[in-house]
Amino acid sequence: MAGQSDPHLSIFSAAEVEFLAEDELVEIIPNMSMDSLNFICGDFGPFFPHIPTEVPMWLAMALKKRGKCAIRPPNWMSLENLTQVLEAERDSRREFQPLPFHYVEISRLLFDHARDDIPDVHMVRTLVEDIRDVRFHKVESGFETIGSRTHAVKLKNLSAMEVNIVRPFFVRALQAFYKHDSPQMIPRPDTASTRTNIGDLPRRDLRPR
Amino acid sequence: MANYYDLDDIIMEDELVSVVFQVGANGVGLLDPGAETNHIQQGAKVELPFWLSQELQLRQAASINLPACFNQKTRKEVQADVAYVNLKNRCPYFYEFGCKVAPLVGDRTIGPFLLYAFKGRYKEVLSKAHSAAFSVAPKFLPLLTKEETHLYDAAQSSMTAYKKWRVGGPRFERASILKKRKSNG
Repeated sequence: MAGQSDPHLSIFSAAEVEFLAEDELVEIIPNMSMDSLNFICGDFGPFFPHIPTEVPMWLAMALKKRGKCAIRPPNWMSLENLTQVLEAERDSRREFQPLPFHYVEISRLLFDHARDDIPDVHMVRTLVEDIRDVRFHKVESGFETIGSRTHAVKLKNLSAMEVNIVRPFFVRALQAFYKHDSPQMIPRPDTASTRTNIGDLPRRDLRPR
Repeated sequence: MANYYDLDDIIMEDELVSVVFQVGANGVGLLDPGAETNHIQQGAKVELPFWLSQELQLRQAASINLPACFNQKTRKEVQADVAYVNLKNRCPYFYEFGCKVAPLVGDRTIGPFLLYAFKGRYKEVLSKAHSAAFSVAPKFLPLLTKEETHLYDAAQSSMTAYKKWRVGGPRFERASILKKRKSNG
C-alpha cells in the first residue's frame, strides 16, 4: 500500500499518515443526546449528555467543532506520564519507550482542535515536542550502527510518523549497502587465500567505525 | 540487462577509462585524438568510454587500466577524511562505476573500498539533510556523488514535508481544475 498524493513515490505524505491516525478511538463526553451512529467501521453511541463514550478521532473532531462534546485526552497524555517517558527516553540510548503508534498525529490533532480539553496544554505540548526530538535524534544516531551484513533493522516502538520520515532515506541506504556488501563485491574470507598480493588497502582500515 | 532504461546507468557508462590495445586496429584512428594515421598500434594507450572499453575487453582486443578514481592516491585521500572528500569531481557515479569496473580490472579491493567510503559518508548525508538550514547545503552538496545526492534529497524532502505538516496551514486545498472552472463560469 502506498500513498496517493505522489504516485511516483511509494511513501505516505504526512497528511495521509494523519488521515490513518483519525481512525484511532478516543473518549468523548457529549453534551447532547443522539441515537447511535452505524458506520462501516462500526457502531458508535448512543450519545447521552455527560456519559462518556468512545468514537473515532475524526468523529470526535467533527463533534468538537460543532460544540457537541468535550474530548477526554488519552491516558498517556498526562503530565506525569509524559515526564516519565521523556526521562526514560533520555536515559536509554537504544530503546524507544512504548507510546501509541500515532502519538505524533493524535497530539497534533488534539492541540489544534481541543486545546481547552487538555489540562496544562502548554506543558503537555512542550513535553510531546521534547520527546519527539529525543526520539528523532536517537533514530539518527541509531543509523550509525548499520554496516556490514545488515539486511534489516529492527526499531521497536517507533511510531508511524517517525517511520514515515526516515523511510525514503533508509530504504535507499539499505539498498546501497546490500549492493556494495554483496558477495560479488566483497570476497569472503575463505576465498581470501587467492589474493595474497593485494596490499592495496590495508585490512585494518575496513573495521566498522 | 536490469538497468537498460536507467538514465543514470547510461550516463555512467560514458565515463572515460584508459585502455591499452592488445592488438593493432585499422581504421579507428578517431578513437585516439593524438594519432597521426588512421591506425591504432598494439600497446597504445587510449581513453575510451566505458561501454566501448567493456566490449573491447570482452573480445580481448584491449585491457582496461584501473581508473584514476580508484588509484592509490584517491584511496589515501578517502581514508584521510572520508566524509568530506569531493567524490563528485572524481567520478559522479563513483559507486556504480566501481561496481562495474571491479570485475573487469580484476581488483578485488575495490569492493571493500566502496563499502568503506559509503559507510563513512552516509551518516553525514543524513544528519546534514535533517538538520540542514539552507545555508549548509550549497557547501556540502557538491561533494556528493549522484547516489548520495539522491539519498540527501530523499531525507530532506521527507523532513521538510513533515515540518510543513507540523506547522499546519490550509488543511484542504481546492484542486486547480475547480478554481479554473469557477473563474470561467
